[in-house]
Amino acid sequence: MKIWLALFALLAPAAAFAADTVSLTSKVFVERVKPGADGKPVTVREAPGVVTPGDKLAFVLRYRNAGAQPATGFVLTNPIPPSVAFTGTDDAGAVVSVDGGKSWGALASLKIAQADGTSRPAVAADVTHIRWALARPIAAGAAGELSFRGVVE
Amino acid sequence: MTRTVRLLASASVLAATAIAASPALAAGTTAGTTITNNVTLDYKVGGVDQSQVTASDSFTVDRKVNLTVAEVGSSTTSVSPGQSATVVAFTVTNASNAPLDLALAATQLSGGTAAHGGTDNFDVTGVKVYVDTDQSGSYDAGTDVEVSYLDQVAPDDIQTVFVVASVPLGRATADVAGVRLTATASEATAAGSLGSTVTQTSGANTAGVDTVFADTASNGNTARDGIHFAEDDYTVLAASLTATKSSRVVSDPFNGTTNPKMIPGAVIEYCIAVANAAGSAAATNINISDTLPDETSYDSAFGIKLNGTVSGSACNADGTSGGSYASGIVSGTLNDIAAGVTRTLVFRVAVN
Repeated sequence: MKIWLALFALLAPAAAFAADTVSLTSKVFVERVKPGADGKPVTVREAPGVVTPGDKLAFVLRYRNAGAQPATGFVLTNPIPPSVAFTGTDDAGAVVSVDGGKSWGALASLKIAQADGTSRPAVAADVTHIRWALARPIAAGAAGELSFRGVVE
Repeated sequence: MTRTVRLLASASVLAATAIAASPALAAGTTAGTTITNNVTLDYKVGGVDQSQVTASDSFTVDRKVNLTVAEVGSSTTSVSPGQSATVVAFTVTNASNAPLDLALAATQLSGGTAAHGGTDNFDVTGVKVYVDTDQSGSYDAGTDVEVSYLDQVAPDDIQTVFVVASVPLGRATADVAGVRLTATASEATAAGSLGSTVTQTSGANTAGVDTVFADTASNGNTARDGIHFAEDDYTVLAASLTATKSSRVVSDPFNGTTNPKMIPGAVIEYCIAVANAAGSAAATNINISDTLPDETSYDSAFGIKLNGTVSGSACNADGTSGGSYASGIVSGTLNDIAAGVTRTLVFRVAVN
């Protein structure tokens, strides 16, 4: 069931679903700065064509409640992929983990234990997981988008 | 109709941009690595946990080809005329995210401004390229191996390369020979042989590993051509010696030392002054030999005085005894003469 849903979500995110299902897609984009129409640089998101270390990435997660009833208890969890360093998110409500998903919190509240027994404040590159727990129910037919950014190590 | 909602949780807000740290990127993730993002979604309907939903998306990391050649040190290499095995050192770095063979070529400047500001006006000879096989950081003849390419250089690997050459005789102080070491990105197809030159993927992105040139335009290079070079130069520092021979009449049999005249039986003092011009290299192993005229005879009582001084152009006729006389030839070896210093050899003869 899980696999089928995932596959279906990838192939046809906008298609109609059976009742009580929520669809989810994950898309990776490369963020590049290009001159805009007025000559000023603008950041554009492109499909990940040529991607090399140092490129900035945007991970866009889209969900849609295709069911007939509101969905509650929404928890979206995204481990940061290997070879990607987390750089941040603009979507409020995110909590992160720097210990592989054991503990969660705002980045500023997290610490990294060091070899000498002390700890240091965690930084973005330490983030191993990001999670959004949505407090409000998702109405039937409603959709949304969350995203975070990273860089190819 | 789809309505897009963006829901805010009551939990703490992540001020991401304020604390974003730059990850330490060097060559980076190896080309060909597939990066997959997996996301999971848990939710409830009617208060009942539903099956977890997952989604993923993948892409392949392409090959970024970046190489750097840099001079070791930041000054010219001072050489003597005729010096062999003079060395300039470079580092060659594979900053790509894939292994490369790096073809090497040492070429000489033909005129123009060399790396350290001088004007290239001669070529060194017998130019060869060696890799620092024992990683000592300095050229070791017989140990370091002559190469035309660096084989299978791993990402982030830095190798030291020496350009070794000889300086022709007859070059003067401040003559400059510029050399350039060029590295060309080549495929690390097989160990022990130089692969073909790397080409950039043209046209649209492919599903496989594409190649992107990322080398920089530093030091006069062309950006993004898969080729990088650096220059260094040799500057000649030669000794510039001039020898001056002077003489004076010390005494004659009739006037003694008061206003002596050049008559048979007079004693003549010869002074050979060797000067090394200011700004030159120190001269060593300075051997002087002087054949006496037939009409004179060597004054063995006075002997030969070496390493004396001059006052202006006047010989002080001082120094310490040394040298030798044999078969009508006076000879002696002076101490090393630094730039701007003059040393003398003084001897006396009697006029027959």
